Amino acid sequence: MATGAGLYFDGASSARHAVTIETTPAFLSIAGADGSLIAEWPYAELRAQSAPDAVMRLRRAGGPELARLEIRDPALIADIDERADSLDRSGVVERRLRKRVVAWTVAATVSLVLVAIFGVPLLSDRIAPLIPLSVEHRLGVTIDAQVRAMLDDGRSGKPFECGGTDAGKAGRAALDTLVGKLEAAAGLPIPLKASVVRRRESNAVALPGGHIYVFEGLVSQSRSADELAGVIAHEIGHVAHRDGTRSLLEAAGLSFLFGVLLGDFTGGGLVVIAAKTVVQSAYSRDVESSADLYGVGLMARAGGDPRALAAILDRIAGAIEPGSKLTADHPQTKDRVTAINTAANRLPAPTSPLLSASEWDTLRGICG
Amino acid sequence: MNVAEAPVAAAPQTSVPVTQAVRFIGTPRAYWRLLFRGTARLAVTLGIYRFWFATDIRRFLWSNTEIAGETLEYSGTATELLIGFLIAIAVLVPLNLILFIAALSLGPVGQFASTLTFPLLFFLGQFAIFRARRYRLTRTIYRGVRCHQDGSAIRYAICASFWWILIVLTLGLAYPFAQSRLERFKMRHTYFGNLQGRFEGSGWRLFFRGLVMWLVVVGPLLFALTYAIAGVDWDKVSAAAATSDGGTDFFKKIETAFPDVYGAIGILIGAVFQAMVLRWWISGLRLGTLTIRSQLRTGLIYGAYLRFLWYALLFSTAMSIVGVIAYYAMNAALAGLGKPELVEAVNAAGGVISYVVVMLGYSAIYQGTVRFAFWQGGMESIQLEGTAVLDAVKAEGGPSSAVGEGLADALNVGGF
Repeated sequence: MATGAGLYFDGASSARHAVTIETTPAFLSIAGADGSLIAEWPYAELRAQSAPDAVMRLRRAGGPELARLEIRDPALIADIDERADSLDRSGVVERRLRKRVVAWTVAATVSLVLVAIFGVPLLSDRIAPLIPLSVEHRLGVTIDAQVRAMLDDGRSGKPFECGGTDAGKAGRAALDTLVGKLEAAAGLPIPLKASVVRRRESNAVALPGGHIYVFEGLVSQSRSADELAGVIAHEIGHVAHRDGTRSLLEAAGLSFLFGVLLGDFTGGGLVVIAAKTVVQSAYSRDVESSADLYGVGLMARAGGDPRALAAILDRIAGAIEPGSKLTADHPQTKDRVTAINTAANRLPAPTSPLLSASEWDTLRGICG
Repeated sequence: MNVAEAPVAAAPQTSVPVTQAVRFIGTPRAYWRLLFRGTARLAVTLGIYRFWFATDIRRFLWSNTEIAGETLEYSGTATELLIGFLIAIAVLVPLNLILFIAALSLGPVGQFASTLTFPLLFFLGQFAIFRARRYRLTRTIYRGVRCHQDGSAIRYAICASFWWILIVLTLGLAYPFAQSRLERFKMRHTYFGNLQGRFEGSGWRLFFRGLVMWLVVVGPLLFALTYAIAGVDWDKVSAAAATSDGGTDFFKKIETAFPDVYGAIGILIGAVFQAMVLRWWISGLRLGTLTIRSQLRTGLIYGAYLRFLWYALLFSTAMSIVGVIAYYAMNAALAGLGKPELVEAVNAAGGVISYVVVMLGYSAIYQGTVRFAFWQGGMESIQLEGTAVLDAVKAEGGPSSAVGEGLADALNVGGF
């Protein structure tokens, strides 16, 4: 049995009571300065509350919720800690609990990351075909405005979309002929809207709702109408596979997942965006390969050269500026070229170019 | 203002005012240990550990703050915070989904939804700030008596939104008045047991103290704008632009130099401003007849920021060295495998991981230097008068839920 001084707060008022504490075999006996008994707290019901290192602050489970006993006498603290199993002065129990918390949160994190890498693309593959075309069309209009604003640097001072001038209008007609042939062969459920825009990169993008933007740089890099058509056929592959909608679903799913995880609900945090980009670029490899194969088949059906896509890819990959879309999120170009050529070799050789020489010349002047 | 001051002046003063200081007894070393361990766990759990981390930090800060001989007690738990967050998610997920879908639809509905999103989330954020404060107060126990808060969070959110609009419209001139009004609202609804709080900081006082700083910060901006619009000889500029790039070059130089100069001014003035506001805020706090004064030294805040910059510099240097070595070691090890896709994926993942580590590191350094200095310095600068009133407070109020904390966490408006 040990005896020592302490402070008692009864939980009803802030008055400070100087008390004498005695450790009896079954409970802590708390007596006032005049010797009168204030409370008896059984050891099993003692709970430690947060306090500075040198202080033991106790509460009684089931007792007055806010009644507190404060002890500063090290010998008395040691004695009480020894007697009460519910107290954990050394922090062993707390540390073990924390380890469990950490272990399970790590497990939860791992499973969420796995869902992000494997589950989200699977899910969006299933959901994308279920989205009605009318919804995809509306999505397309919204996204189109955003993408336009993003791509249009307005530096040239000319309209973003080519085909406004007299020469341009003729070029525009030639483009429509080319796209029309592909579109007829593709038999898509939604109409295509293809246009050439003023960007120097050799690239093209497809958006949900059938928008295809061909960059000016790609037109000047193409040596024949079939090469340009090959790239457009690849982009039509994205439209046919509804890749735009799918990647939008993926992006939404990933921002939600990472956002909830990181406690950044608005999803605008840089970490969320970075993680999303990495995971999504991992998805894009299969998507690009299957768009390639679609493009090869479509070119053959339209009567064009299925090898043309391989030819232009091979040429652009060397010259393209780093970080632009074709190299950044397309699988290793060599592998793609080989795959395209293998597939194309099984198909009939082209009979004639998709556009006549004069039509192709006109098309090249679309941005003039 | 005068109405609020009157009862204090009339209140019977004890013949000799007893001043007592607030002490902070925690060591920076213990705090850094908490930060280090918590941050490491945050990194491996992608942030889920934050509920436990925040609770540990609060327990440390509260229990090492000694007011008139007794330390505070933080009785909140990580589980409460986690549940609060889950409830907030349950509310916010459908709301966000509705807003997202509405924003995608065409016409006025989409327009309306996308313009509404920010104000709505801002309003919710203010609501959450008030509710989170209530949670923290009801988990603060001193001498066996709980603090608590009443008052409508919706009303607070309306007031706060109104004031923030005014702050933006007046380029910050309304800030002192907004602070004094909002603080008045908060403190009026704050209780320690049956002892009601008050706030007596005057908006005008803060306004006059801060006016010079405002002129230094906003003045050049206004001047530059006026100058750019009115002062430029447009004929000359267009002539220069026609012959060469000289004119635009000049403006580009100003454009690029501006943020640098501004950043430097911002750091210099920011610290003075923060110290001033903190001093003003603490000195305005009242609890019954208890008055509080603060003699916070500005140098303390400067010191904290300098320490932050210095540690951040050391940390950045160390991280760059480690990062470069790890990058080359990894690429050398993977090069032999002949799988370029794997290398690319590993590098990208490495990029994200190092970004997370660096950001968490900065955050920990910030908390260990600036945040700690604000708490410790702010607390130790306090002089209390009339602490006798603390001896006979009657317990009142019960614990509140942590939903506010959860909302604040989910909306990224959290405080401590």
